[in-house]
Amino acid sequence: MSVPALEVLAISKDFGRIIALRGVSFSVQSGEFVSILGRNGAGKTTLLNIISGISRPSEGEVKLFGTDPSDRENKAKLAVISHEMFLYGNLTAIENLEYYSRIYNIPNAKQRVETVLNDVELTHRRFDLVATYSRGMTQRLTIARALLHEPSLLLLDEPFTGLDQHAIGMLITLLKKQKEMGRTILLTTHDLHTATELSDRYVVISKHKIVKDGLIADTNPDAIREKFFSADTGGIDL
Amino acid sequence: MRSKIDKILLIILLIAFSVSIYLIFQWVPQIKASNPAEQIAQRIFYFHVPSAWLGFLAFFVVFCGSVAYLATRNRKYELISVASAEIGVLFISLVLITGPIWAKPVWGIWWTWDVRLTSSLILWLIYVAFLMLRRYLPDGSKRANLSAVVGIIGFTDVPIVYYSIRWWETQHPKAVMASSEGSLAAPMFFAFMFSLATFTLLYVYLIRKRYQLLTLEDTLNKQFKEMEIL
Amino acid sequence: MMRTAISILKKDLRMEFRSKESILAMWIFSLLIFVIFNFTFEVSRLVMLEIAPGLLWVAFVFSGMFGLNQSFALEKENGNLRAMALMPVDGGQIYVGKFFSVTIIMLMFEALIFPIFIIFYDLQLSLGMFRLIPVLLAGTIGFTSLGTILSAVAVHTRNQQILLSLLLWPLVSPIIIWSVTLTGMVLSGEVTEAFYPLLLRVGAFDVIFFTLSYMLFDFILED
Repeated sequence: MSVPALEVLAISKDFGRIIALRGVSFSVQSGEFVSILGRNGAGKTTLLNIISGISRPSEGEVKLFGTDPSDRENKAKLAVISHEMFLYGNLTAIENLEYYSRIYNIPNAKQRVETVLNDVELTHRRFDLVATYSRGMTQRLTIARALLHEPSLLLLDEPFTGLDQHAIGMLITLLKKQKEMGRTILLTTHDLHTATELSDRYVVISKHKIVKDGLIADTNPDAIREKFFSADTGGIDL
Repeated sequence: MRSKIDKILLIILLIAFSVSIYLIFQWVPQIKASNPAEQIAQRIFYFHVPSAWLGFLAFFVVFCGSVAYLATRNRKYELISVASAEIGVLFISLVLITGPIWAKPVWGIWWTWDVRLTSSLILWLIYVAFLMLRRYLPDGSKRANLSAVVGIIGFTDVPIVYYSIRWWETQHPKAVMASSEGSLAAPMFFAFMFSLATFTLLYVYLIRKRYQLLTLEDTLNKQFKEMEIL
Repeated sequence: MMRTAISILKKDLRMEFRSKESILAMWIFSLLIFVIFNFTFEVSRLVMLEIAPGLLWVAFVFSGMFGLNQSFALEKENGNLRAMALMPVDGGQIYVGKFFSVTIIMLMFEALIFPIFIIFYDLQLSLGMFRLIPVLLAGTIGFTSLGTILSAVAVHTRNQQILLSLLLWPLVSPIIIWSVTLTGMVLSGEVTEAFYPLLLRVGAFDVIFFTLSYMLFDFILED
């Protein structure tokens, strides 16, 4: 068997008075789509920060494609989509994308920028300042920016938060396309519906630990809902 | 074990301070000065200079702690740096307070924008800013990283600050130990060294205590978190 | 290797020139500094000439602070600081890019402020004034090399502007003191033999601060 795309080996993030993760282990095979379910504050964002090499675990180890996540080659293979835009309002769409394509050293940048702009249906607004965009349009551009360097691993941190219906539909379509192309995708969400629709596997994090790791196919979504989601809070309740 | 060492340290400190007060106020002969106020004020030197020395020592420890933190990411070194910065600021504050007390009767003014005075004030400001920065940031590894960076840059700046203001002429008494002519009389030298040693011991005691307190805070907070989790 | 730094520099300059109002506002502000100082210290022309170098640097440093605050506020706005941490590049390169953009903008302000200064204080232009160029360069680089890294530190707090002043002023004071001394020598035409050693010393500390910040910048991006 080939090297898994991601291996998380017994990591803890426990610094000073802050406890974020405790002994979390799981691995993701290349091409898999895994959803990480958990309440706000359960440690999902910290986990993604550690996987993306921004943060260091206080114990344990993470391996991205067999090496350290903070390696430059790994960072080039990775994209993060979160509620943060990662865009400059005072630049146009095309200037933003050109800036990032230089940073990521993308060959054939011009063509690539056109392709991603077309994918998110923003070609007609490409010369406008991002500050003049509507929220939905900005989010679409955020997605375009993330896909610019054709990442092999996509980390999505609550990407549906604050999106309008149109942008959600577009993101889901794009994610399905990415999955068909064999990209590995890791999604954190508290939205069970999209998680079951998109992913192959799910991992439930609660109180800084993994409490469930299973295949979506093996599980009845209602059973997950019954077990981990309480109807009244709409979130995970353990 | 730990508390036993602290107890012994405390007892030694009490004795050493009593002895050094006796040495400074009784044993050391009067200096020759036309102004009687100056004769009394001069004795502040035995507190003023050791405080300044402690300040430098403390800031050097901040620097070492910061480097060690960035190399290991161990919380321990972050806490040592903070504890030392706090003590350093405290002792440089003492320098800035005892200085004017001496200057008023001798120079006739509380403060002058002199070399040593200005540089001590700048030094104090650097580390107050360091502590302020920590106040403004939430606890976590980000804060530890940022304050370690400032701890390193801050200490690199210390010699530069002292060097830069050399440019001006100084009114401040020269480092008396070094000069052959007009150097301290033997009893004065002994009393000074004794005071210096006592102050250094005080630093060791204070940093131990402050560090223990900070670790205790961590443990307590963690236990609260643990209770929340369960 | 320099690709990242140049990209960041280009992006920053493009954004800076797009907000022309802020450049204008800063220029008016430095005008105000001269006016206010003139009224608060009603002094003779002779004394004014003596404090002029200090005044000039006050105006420079204020414009520099403005640029520094702006520079990292832009990065924080839409989470771009995190985007920088995710970039597959050396943190030092990001520092170099930001350093150059901040420095170029500050030098540009200086070029705008200096002519007014000359007119207001009726200074005689002479060939010796060219000695100001290395002085301004050395002083500005010292200010921005420390300022860039400390601004990246301060931007993580809510009181970014106050904290940057608290951190930067004491640390950069030696550089400013020397720059004022050097500027005074040039403006009064009394360039003594101490001039070049002092200038060299400022240059040496610029190199120290720059190298140190370059090495430490990675730690700032990390969480």
